[in-house]
Amino acid sequence: MDGAVRILRRFVGSTILVSVVLLVFNLILLGSLIFKEIREGPSPEAVVRQLDGGLAKDGRGQYGLSEESHALLKAHRAWAMLLDGDGAVRWGERLPAEIPRAYTLTDVAKFSRYYLMEYPVYVWEREDGLLVVGYPKNSYGKYQLDFLVEWLRSLPLRLLLLLLCNAALALAVSVLIGARLIRGIRPLIDGIHALAKEKPVRVENGGLFSDLSQSINSASRMLQDKNEALKARDEARSNWIAGVSHDIRTPLSMILGYASELEEREELPAEARQQAAIIRRQGERLRSLVSDLNLVSMLEYEMQPLQLKPIRISALARQAASDFLNDGLDDRYAITVQVQDESVLAPGDERLLYRAVTNLIQNSIRHNPEGCAIELRTLRSPDEGFCHFVVSDDGQGIPREDLPDVVKLPYVAGRKRPSRNGHGLGLPMVARIAQAHRGDLILDSDPGAGLRAVLRLPLS
Amino acid sequence: MDMVKNKKILIVDDEPDIREMIERFLRKEGFFRVYKADNYADALSLCRYEKPDAAILDVMLPDGDGFSLLSSIRSFSDMPVLFLSARGEDEDRLLGLGLGADDYVVKPFLPRELILRLMAVLKRVYGAPAVERLPVFRLESQVVDLEGSVVRREGGELPLTAKEHAILLKLYENRGRIVTSDALCRAVWGDESYGYENTLMVHVRRIREKIEEDPSKPAHLLTVRGLGYKLAAARETR
Repeated sequence: MDGAVRILRRFVGSTILVSVVLLVFNLILLGSLIFKEIREGPSPEAVVRQLDGGLAKDGRGQYGLSEESHALLKAHRAWAMLLDGDGAVRWGERLPAEIPRAYTLTDVAKFSRYYLMEYPVYVWEREDGLLVVGYPKNSYGKYQLDFLVEWLRSLPLRLLLLLLCNAALALAVSVLIGARLIRGIRPLIDGIHALAKEKPVRVENGGLFSDLSQSINSASRMLQDKNEALKARDEARSNWIAGVSHDIRTPLSMILGYASELEEREELPAEARQQAAIIRRQGERLRSLVSDLNLVSMLEYEMQPLQLKPIRISALARQAASDFLNDGLDDRYAITVQVQDESVLAPGDERLLYRAVTNLIQNSIRHNPEGCAIELRTLRSPDEGFCHFVVSDDGQGIPREDLPDVVKLPYVAGRKRPSRNGHGLGLPMVARIAQAHRGDLILDSDPGAGLRAVLRLPLS
Repeated sequence: MDMVKNKKILIVDDEPDIREMIERFLRKEGFFRVYKADNYADALSLCRYEKPDAAILDVMLPDGDGFSLLSSIRSFSDMPVLFLSARGEDEDRLLGLGLGADDYVVKPFLPRELILRLMAVLKRVYGAPAVERLPVFRLESQVVDLEGSVVRREGGELPLTAKEHAILLKLYENRGRIVTSDALCRAVWGDESYGYENTLMVHVRRIREKIEEDPSKPAHLLTVRGLGYKLAAARETR
């Protein structure tokens, strides 16, 4: 839309510029090419004037022409004569024979305007008569121009009008052509914009840009196909993991079931019951791994449905801290809650957010076997529209260069080291839960200075 | 003999090993009328002719799914149903409970967990309609009677207001554990309880005046700073 208007404006501008340049160029050409050889040498009027200067009476009352005037006359193959007040020729130079030697008033009026026996003649008024200079036949054309004074006066205005009309015409034509062009381009522009938004595009073929629209269409088709293929692959992967975890659940049920039954059998030796307990505990670990794996894969491929409702994050912090304390948190760990603003509500899936928070706390506990102080803080974010849920500890922290790695899924390309403890899904799960809420997980740490994990969540 | 143990229990699962294991646990627990089916059709006809008192249904069956089986059963029976599923997804859970299932257990499960849930369901449905009695418990020399909504101590009885009663009940249900102020407010004032923390503090102070020897140094109703309150382990008197 905007792009099309810009193109049209550009187009009209350059058209007008071209018109102006053309006009100026034409004017210059008119001066230099058309009106250049309007005459040879000096104009007849100038010759006449010069002859007038060169014609003088000598001491005896005879007329004589100066040398150079004579040469001038000769060069132009012209002749000259001087008529006195009565129309008689007083002096002549190179006069052709057919030229009469006396003229009436009518003759003079006639030839001074046009021709004398087809000789183009030019006159000059002198004290002692009229100097007449005749050029060879067919050498000059003489035209009389007559204009109304009114017309002459309004000529500048008319010229201006002419220019304006020209400008208007140029503008109109360029807008017309430009609009047609835009009509042709518009679907292409819309198509490209839609392409950028990954919408399916079908630009009508035809016209000047048929090959372009074909390219756009095929690009769109390709994009759609690729997206669909990607989606299908994601779905297949997620379904695969869901299927595998489903298939693990049934045998795991048996392992857990019989192991716990053996564990409770009084008649078995204590050692055997202990071993059964180990099997049961490992089975439970496997169970949590399977369900975590399933959840992470659902989040990874955006197939986890979110049940969003406004969550008071301060209440979430208190809940998580209380649950850890109630479930017998070891004395080596201290857990405190700091609430900056009670009223902060973030839309979220309560179960998932609670999971994210407990994973962060669990992470701090697991990475600091010597104990640490864990602090939960909730606050409004300095950047508008977000809130922060901060879980920080004063434990060993994580080397800064490893931070990007710990949110990657275990075993993906690019994750350098295998996670040392746990199954390594905890922090990646938190990061994905944050992303599912259109927020993110920000980790900050220095070795020895503890880990600071910020869940940044949008407020609405 | 326990009334619930003679109930007929139907197990529907396509995995023979799982069926066998569950049956084993049930029999060990004392149930002796256990029926098994491995598909939708058999399960439905068993339900019609044997009229079991409760059913444990697998969600995925070879010839249908457990949810539609439940719908069919519901057309002629109101027996309690417990779902057993290898798919832990929430939609399944909601769908199962929305259809009128009484509980939902995700595989893999611990046998104890399954039995406990089944017993709870059976007791709820078939158990004698015992009069729900509220607890009465002793805190040193004070006796908190939530049934009568009074605190008995030397020198007489102190009545509890409705709010104090609700707070004490919630704390007693979670005795020995921290109850967040949010959970307490929700228990007393409902879901839209934001902003009642100060009121809660006032009520807690009044409760302490009734149940503590020295309300300024509480020994039973403890404040857990920043989180909520905790009722130190109390002894039920009956």
